[in-house]
Amino acid sequence: MFIQLWDLLIAFARASNFGFGGGPAVIPLIKIEAVERYQWMTDAQFADALAVVNVLPGPIATKLAGYIGYQIAGWSGSLSALIGTILPTVIAVIFLTAFLIKYSDSPILKGMLKGVRPVIVILIAQTAFDMGKDSFPNLTTWGIALVALVTLNWFKLHPALLIVISMAFGFLVFR
Amino acid sequence: MFKKLWDVFIAFVRASNLGFGGGPAVVPLIKAEAVDRYHWMDEQEFADALAISNALPGPIATKMASHIGYKQAGWPGVVVALIGTVVPTLIIVILLSNIIMKYSDSPELKAMLKAVRPVVVVLIAQTAFEMGRKSFSALSSWGIAAVTAALIYFTSIHPVFFIASAMLFGWIVYGRRKKTEIVDKNL
Repeated sequence: MFIQLWDLLIAFARASNFGFGGGPAVIPLIKIEAVERYQWMTDAQFADALAVVNVLPGPIATKLAGYIGYQIAGWSGSLSALIGTILPTVIAVIFLTAFLIKYSDSPILKGMLKGVRPVIVILIAQTAFDMGKDSFPNLTTWGIALVALVTLNWFKLHPALLIVISMAFGFLVFR
Repeated sequence: MFKKLWDVFIAFVRASNLGFGGGPAVVPLIKAEAVDRYHWMDEQEFADALAISNALPGPIATKMASHIGYKQAGWPGVVVALIGTVVPTLIIVILLSNIIMKYSDSPELKAMLKAVRPVVVVLIAQTAFEMGRKSFSALSSWGIAAVTAALIYFTSIHPVFFIASAMLFGWIVYGRRKKTEIVDKNL
């Protein structure tokens, strides 16, 4: 039992902390650990797990970790896999955040942040572009995007509301 | 203090549990809570939070939650932000996985996800636009953006390299000037 929890912790710590670029970069690494290295599940079972977590909102990697951990060793397995996934980077983030707060008046740090901000803007724009590639299969989806843009900017509609409304619309129209 | 922790918790529950499409889809919703609703930070600080998160490996949403939670309420803030981000959907995944698996191919679910995707794209593009408006404070910012975009398009260099080299560039070019000269004028 303990060895299983330890394996889960290590497997997910390894997968998550070598994947740069958020959840999507982590998924193939989780597959290597769960399917190939520890053989906790087959390829098909991994595909099913991925299908389930993709349907639900929120970050992918933590859902996958919690789900696989639960399948292997119940709730404690779920917790073990989650800790492996988030704890190392959480500690690193807090370390950097504390550093950022402490030296927020330093001209060097200000300069570094000023230099990196445009890169972050481009990376986010790139995400939108990549997701956009297969999000507009027909004219109606362009219409949805246009309405979203207008209501967001002129009517200041909360994004969460927009998401709920669009899903209801899809349920009624695209079915 | 309790009020603050509750706000942090609820903000991340809302952001994470309406973001369809993984971590990146959650980013605009985190911005809606942290910048627009609770005014915990401005656009530039949000961009800095994203810079820290992108410079490290692992899922984005939990790193953003840790950073914002810590700034607002220290370690307890980190814990509640992470619980809000991770726990609700995880419980649904574990308890309802059999049902979800049965319906993950259903036309109703597919129709809903098909309609939400353009909205997610607009939200993410809007986030990039708003951050850009506030953070392109100098002509050289546009230069950095253009070079980054070109390199992403034409090469397959890893994003971490862009982050590291832009920081180095910022240190050398902006970092050495006197403090008064680099105070951002927000445009």
